[in-house]
Amino acid sequence: MATSGMFGNGNPGALWTGGPVPGQLHNFPGVQNGATKGSSQRTLNPVVMGSSVLGIQFNGGVVIAADMLGSYGSLSKYRDCPRLLKVNDSTVIGASGDYADFQYLSNVIQQQVIDEECLNDGFGYTPKSLHCWLTRVLYNRRSQFNPLWNTYIVAGLDEDKPYLGYVDKIGMAYEAPSLASGFGAYLALPIIRDALEKKPDMALEDALRLIDRCMKLLFYRDARALNKYQVAVITKAGVDLRGPIVSDTNWEVAHMIKGYE
Amino acid sequence: MFLTRSEYDRGVNTFSPEGRLFQVEYAIEAIKLGSTAIGIQTSEGVVLAVEKRVTSPLIEAASIEKIMEVDKHIACAMSGLIADSKTLIDKARVEAQNHWFTYNEKMNIESVTQAVSNLALQFGDDDPDPGAMSRPFGVALLFAGVDEKGPRLFHMDPSGTFIQYDGKAIGSGSEGAQQALQEVYHKSMTLKEACKAALTILKQVMEEKLNSTNVEMCTVTQKNLFRLFTKEELENIIKDI
Amino acid sequence: MAQLGQPLSDYQRPHQVHFSPYDFNGGTVLAIAGENYALIATDTRLSQGFSIHSRESPKTYSLSENTVLGCCGFHGDVLTLTKTLGARLQIFEKEHNKPMPTPSVAAMLSTILYYRRFFPYYTHNLVAGLDEEGKGCVYSFDPVGSYEREVYRAKGSASAMLQPLLDNQIGGKNQQGYVVQPMPLDRCIAVVKDVFTSAAERDIYTGDNILISVITKDGLKSEKFPLRKD
Repeated sequence: MATSGMFGNGNPGALWTGGPVPGQLHNFPGVQNGATKGSSQRTLNPVVMGSSVLGIQFNGGVVIAADMLGSYGSLSKYRDCPRLLKVNDSTVIGASGDYADFQYLSNVIQQQVIDEECLNDGFGYTPKSLHCWLTRVLYNRRSQFNPLWNTYIVAGLDEDKPYLGYVDKIGMAYEAPSLASGFGAYLALPIIRDALEKKPDMALEDALRLIDRCMKLLFYRDARALNKYQVAVITKAGVDLRGPIVSDTNWEVAHMIKGYE
Repeated sequence: MFLTRSEYDRGVNTFSPEGRLFQVEYAIEAIKLGSTAIGIQTSEGVVLAVEKRVTSPLIEAASIEKIMEVDKHIACAMSGLIADSKTLIDKARVEAQNHWFTYNEKMNIESVTQAVSNLALQFGDDDPDPGAMSRPFGVALLFAGVDEKGPRLFHMDPSGTFIQYDGKAIGSGSEGAQQALQEVYHKSMTLKEACKAALTILKQVMEEKLNSTNVEMCTVTQKNLFRLFTKEELENIIKDI
Repeated sequence: MAQLGQPLSDYQRPHQVHFSPYDFNGGTVLAIAGENYALIATDTRLSQGFSIHSRESPKTYSLSENTVLGCCGFHGDVLTLTKTLGARLQIFEKEHNKPMPTPSVAAMLSTILYYRRFFPYYTHNLVAGLDEEGKGCVYSFDPVGSYEREVYRAKGSASAMLQPLLDNQIGGKNQQGYVVQPMPLDRCIAVVKDVFTSAAERDIYTGDNILISVITKDGLKSEKFPLRKD
């Protein structure tokens, strides 16, 4: 870890760096050589990050939600980052993790949707096919040690059935009736699963209420969350992207929290 | 119309207006110049017999090889431009070994023939794939072997077409030999009878007098797999015909 | 506050996130070869650390009419490997006009795994099916392709708990005067349910349900059995 050099604790620094050294092999700058490359072109650590994404199946569709914060470490840097992408009238994806990687993949997906539309053959991405494709892309990138640092949740309707899929940066993927990424997996998912167990055939209103409760909970507990989120509702009628939504919060008990100053 | 037939036999992949590929047809003609080869399939196994043209007394007859072992359970006889067969046999051997390596089982005769047929079709004028030729192969092959479906005999020609036969003759004497095969073949033929029949027919169609040095014969059976006949074994059969 | 010259404590220091291409998603598979059947069972839990991703994710994959693969470990590799196998089986069937025999599936899987010798599929594999004579067969693999035919084998997170039980109950090990004989299917299924129930008590990566698949000459039959869900 390069901590000492970074804060400059007193070394004068070398007079001659980056040039040829007597008795050693010299790599000319600009020549790409995997083993000796100084700077990295790979996402081996994320920079601007998005936090949780939540997804719930309800009777007749799926809801997916994500807040709009782009965190730069512990700094709440960007407060207007949409992390949901409408792919077509039956598919939405939500992303956690590195925001730049999400933007890159968004561009790729949107271009593919356009290419597919140009064929005008009535075919397009279904949530299932997009989820499968994402799995292959993320797995291949991890296999080249050049991962896309994201967790994706794919939501949509596949042949009129609700679909929810999960893929992470190493290509681990599965489907489930409720999903959450990031801190949502620890904080929100138990609540969602509990609600689904009590009422498996949820109506849209129930699902939206549950989402709001969970997003609020994440805002209270997750330091990388923001009280400003988007929800996409995918039904037979198409995709309804709502928001930004701000929840009513209650900090009455906040003054009682002591001991962390 | 100034385009005569000869205009369409330049490119190997150019169809004539009648829908023919002349170069492929010429290659099939080349087989008819080759020495005769016969294959007979029986319920016991398959026999392959070929004529060797020993055109000079100074030729070392044993150096002419027209029956090859592809795998322990597959033999191949050929007629036409024998040199062309080297590439095809190589392919067959590699495919058979690869199949064994990957699947730990013997490759089917039909699958081997299919694999070789794929290579036989990969001819072309421009940028050929590595291993492929710029013209059709000038050789016809008889694949004989035993697999889970029993004894099998396949014929493949330069067009890559392959068909299973009970008895098949190729080469210069093929017309007469095929006729003779049809007369002599029956389903309950023993392998011993088939060996004798193959040599008898060869004897009929060969220009030179048949003897143990100018023929080659092999059998493939479930029990003994590929086995090439020795000079003595050949003589034993020849003296009875 | 951090003092100059003093080492920084963990939370004050910028930390580098480490990238690992592998993860462990748990799961246990178990296969037993009978006289004229093969049995393969799996739990249906998919987890990561202390989180449960899915309770409905069986780790057995039916490859053909009479071959089933059990595959667990890193689920990303499991998905890729099973997809590759599916494609290879389809190609084989078209090329050779027959479904791939179970012993050939095992041989091919071994080569596929070994081709990734220096960046392995982190998967524990079992292949169960019927051999050319119609007898039940089970092949077990290590992640880099070493394999052998066996009568019974457990693989995955609770394998070390299941295997000794199988040694005793099916292999007749450590029992005095016990004569090993082929086990009837119903007794086999009872043993499988017992060993999985025991494993689910101790292993957090095994639970929710078992899916038991039985391959006979008449095809594939499956049965579900509940395990503890906590």
